[in-house]
Amino acid sequence: MRKLTLLLLTAALALPAAAAAQGARLVIWHAYRGGEKAAFEKVIAAFNARPGTKVKAEPLAVPFDAFADKVSAAVPRGKGPDVFIYAQDRMGGWIEAGNTVEPIDFFVDDALKKKYIPTTIEALTYRGSLWGLPLDYKVITLIYNKKLIATPPKTTAELYKVGAALTNKPAGKFGLAWAYNDFYYVASLLNGNGGAVFGPGTKPTLNAPANVTGMAQLQGWNKAGFMPAEPSVALITSLFNEGKAAMVFSGPWFLGEIAAGVEYGLAPLPGISEAGGKPMRPWMTVEGVFIAAPSKQKEAAFELVKYLTDVEAAKVLALEGRFTPAVKAVYDDPAVARDAQISAFKKQVEVAVPMPNVPEMTMVWSPATTALNKINAGASPQGALDTAQKAVEKDVAGLRKGK
Amino acid sequence: MNDPRTLRRRFTLGLALALALGVGGAWALLRGEQANLREELAMRRGAVTAMALDLLAQRAGGEGEPLRALLAAWQAGQPAGTEVRVVRLSGAQLEASTARVDVGELAAPRRLARSSPEDKVLFDRGQRLRGAVDGNREGGATKREREVERLPSGGLRLAAPLELDGAVVGLVQVDLPPEPPPRAPGPWRELLGVAVLLGAFWLAARMLPPRGWSLGLLAAALLLAGVGGLGASEVGRLEQDYRAAQRELSRHAGEVKAGAERLLAAQGLAAGPGLDAGRWDVDQMRRPRGLIGPSGQLVEAQAAAEVRKARGDATGALVAAGLLGLLGLGLVGSGLIYRFGRALVVHRQAYRYIAPAMLGTTVLVFFPFIYGIALSFTSSNIYNTGAPLSELWVGFRNYVAILSDFGIARRGADGALVWNYLNFYWTFLFTVIWTITNVTFGVTFGLVLALVLNTKGLAFRPIYRVLLILPWAMPNYITALIWKGMFHQQFGVVNQVLAMAGLEPISWFDTPFTSYLTALATNGWLSFPFMMVVSLGALQSIPADLYEAARVDGATRWQQFTAITLPSLKPALVPAVILSVVWTFNMFNIIFLVTGGDPNGSTEILITQAYKFAFQKYQYGYAAAYATVIFGILLVYGNIQNRVTKATEGV
Repeated sequence: MRKLTLLLLTAALALPAAAAAQGARLVIWHAYRGGEKAAFEKVIAAFNARPGTKVKAEPLAVPFDAFADKVSAAVPRGKGPDVFIYAQDRMGGWIEAGNTVEPIDFFVDDALKKKYIPTTIEALTYRGSLWGLPLDYKVITLIYNKKLIATPPKTTAELYKVGAALTNKPAGKFGLAWAYNDFYYVASLLNGNGGAVFGPGTKPTLNAPANVTGMAQLQGWNKAGFMPAEPSVALITSLFNEGKAAMVFSGPWFLGEIAAGVEYGLAPLPGISEAGGKPMRPWMTVEGVFIAAPSKQKEAAFELVKYLTDVEAAKVLALEGRFTPAVKAVYDDPAVARDAQISAFKKQVEVAVPMPNVPEMTMVWSPATTALNKINAGASPQGALDTAQKAVEKDVAGLRKGK
Repeated sequence: MNDPRTLRRRFTLGLALALALGVGGAWALLRGEQANLREELAMRRGAVTAMALDLLAQRAGGEGEPLRALLAAWQAGQPAGTEVRVVRLSGAQLEASTARVDVGELAAPRRLARSSPEDKVLFDRGQRLRGAVDGNREGGATKREREVERLPSGGLRLAAPLELDGAVVGLVQVDLPPEPPPRAPGPWRELLGVAVLLGAFWLAARMLPPRGWSLGLLAAALLLAGVGGLGASEVGRLEQDYRAAQRELSRHAGEVKAGAERLLAAQGLAAGPGLDAGRWDVDQMRRPRGLIGPSGQLVEAQAAAEVRKARGDATGALVAAGLLGLLGLGLVGSGLIYRFGRALVVHRQAYRYIAPAMLGTTVLVFFPFIYGIALSFTSSNIYNTGAPLSELWVGFRNYVAILSDFGIARRGADGALVWNYLNFYWTFLFTVIWTITNVTFGVTFGLVLALVLNTKGLAFRPIYRVLLILPWAMPNYITALIWKGMFHQQFGVVNQVLAMAGLEPISWFDTPFTSYLTALATNGWLSFPFMMVVSLGALQSIPADLYEAARVDGATRWQQFTAITLPSLKPALVPAVILSVVWTFNMFNIIFLVTGGDPNGSTEILITQAYKFAFQKYQYGYAAAYATVIFGILLVYGNIQNRVTKATEGV
């Protein structure tokens, strides 16, 4: 019995060593499913099939819900993958915690940086260093039911008109359904007015005048009455699918929820008439490909990171996996350029703002949502945002107080 | 009870253990202090060298031939094994190097090699320091502005950011050769002292009456004499060493300054303000420690303060070791250890059986529990998860912050009361109300239904029973989400029923009270089946002849209920109520999914609030303290409840 255990132990210890001797074998964690996963694995297979390379990548799909916590727990202890893919919002926290994400400035020159949409690079920059290469971005845009609207509104003035015409409350019909009780969505209106949550650096600026203006405009939309009350995701989806909401502000994740038979189109979010026609500027999240700090094969890992975010891979990911790649050159490809959806998101991302990647951002959600609820219920935007600002300042100070 | 020989032997053993713990422990701790002192001196000496070098590089313009010439001249006066590298971040350029490996093709200036892991480490260090300096200026979390590490060779590697015109442009890294190892005297003197003390005890124990307390006192006195004697000689020596280290540092700083001035003059770079040696003895944030004056002289006040602190640390170590020794003496002398050991040996079979369970409980229950409590005394948050807890220790600060804030409400500008829903006492009050109403609701409703179901001759009873247990059988996530949907302002079925009755629709989640009602309804729906099942079981076990006898005596139905049914139900209902109180108190799912704390966090209960502190605000230490307070509250409640119910059972 004891001998058997010993034998098993030796085998378990010897196996990884044997595998490592055969050349670089990179484990990459991702959270893709369905079509995205198939396209992603195709790209990985193409990477492994390149002639003249010993570097092999091994994809591992990790459920999205557990992904970030798994990275936080496993990577710093050297038990994680060599490369992983995640949105930039957790990046700042991982960098502060240390030994999770590897800085890649050393590998990256300016020519490489210029290949990507500039804001996607900005999203992956923290404390002056670049920490990953951008794979794709997610951004909200205007999705409309073609049967109900021929041309979607280009300005908020038009939105008021179209919205009112399409709303019939007793029948449960609305011009526009969107999560205006979720700060992530509403930020598009605030950013459009020139507002921001932080700046400069990590100084909270929730009650900046531009944010107050944006919130006042939201109250105007509320009063006009073309939006359903308490808009949950489930409600928005069912209204749109039943033809009871003509327009929705949402992102690529919404497209998968649209019922078969609903003919829909995509258009940029309207310009803000009250602000001289400046566009609404939604937050974008950028999926970065990161090298794990404890990885023993960083040079090889960077090869993989670069390959995944390059044009060849992007073409497959976009056309087969419905990704919206961050590398600019892919949009010159005729097949991609013909794709109405991808082009629509590309158009929208040009005015998008990267969502802050600092860990302080987590302090913002709860107070901002509280303020937003008060404002939607009719409270003064200035007062509500002042309260939220105070709460965020207090929490950020508490976080930094340390010792 | 104990014979004199056993007592004497036990106390001799105890004293030996106590001396090993006390004197040995104190000796080891003081040796540790001395090693720390040597390490600190080496680090601070290194820092003076590195910071001076950083300034020299800055004066040389941070690049080009002047820098390389200056470093070459500097290198000439250094001991073998000293190496300097200067890196410019823009273009990843190795600007200057005196390292032995950087010759030939690798000689500076050159671009850092992409394929070289060492070069990447160098470059990343520079990036990290630049990020730290910029972040600290911006008012972010405080980060180290210079780095120190021990090389495998035993030498030191120090790095500092190179700043030009107020912006970090690169890094200066210097490797210093290992210092000669110290000569440490062996513990012979201390061993002799311990032997003498043990011998003295052995002799004296024969003359004293063989009583436990007199032997114990004698042993304790000898232990204190031992630890005290060691302390008297060693603390004094440590203090002297400390003074010597400070003088050495001051001498070194003066020397470095003189050397730097000579170099600057020789290279024709003397322009600019005079050198300040005091700015080179810095901490990790590059703040001067104030020990060294501008020309390298000691600042006496700071020197005395540092020595005082070192003496305090050493005395603390002595006291701790002494107490540990006393504990050992007490445990052995009183026979506790003996009895414990005997129990282990006698019942070894039993202990062998429970060992796996004990191990499992220790790892799965006690370790996380103790870790959580330890965490609650720290300022742990997302910025410092890498640091050991001892560095983050803040004592009771979190508890004070939670419990001493009584600002539940204040007067608003218009004179109306404004509640502070984030206050601990508001949340506590809400949790108590939430628990009491829920349990009352659940018990009443469950009991009534059980009585109905218990009616004799009820048709289709099994069907009713299944239907009524259904709410309990559904996963409560689903139930919670369905109920949340039912309270939707526009599309919810509740408001539609109100509308049919001609009433105005209610925004349920807009006021604390209505929001509370939604959670109460959901939880009531989920909790009555449990109470019903418990009551039903108990009802069926009440003998029918009790009711028969009561009827013969002419009791009314109400009298039967209060005199027979309720008392018979009590043994089953009381534990169910206790359980239900604890469950409801910590009913995370319902609050989190139904109200989500709306509006403005007024309907949070303690456990959801603790969750928000941990996973939305990332204040792990604070959240741990919150959780510990919740544990304390439930512990107190459980104790009281237990005592009250036992007292009634006794009657």
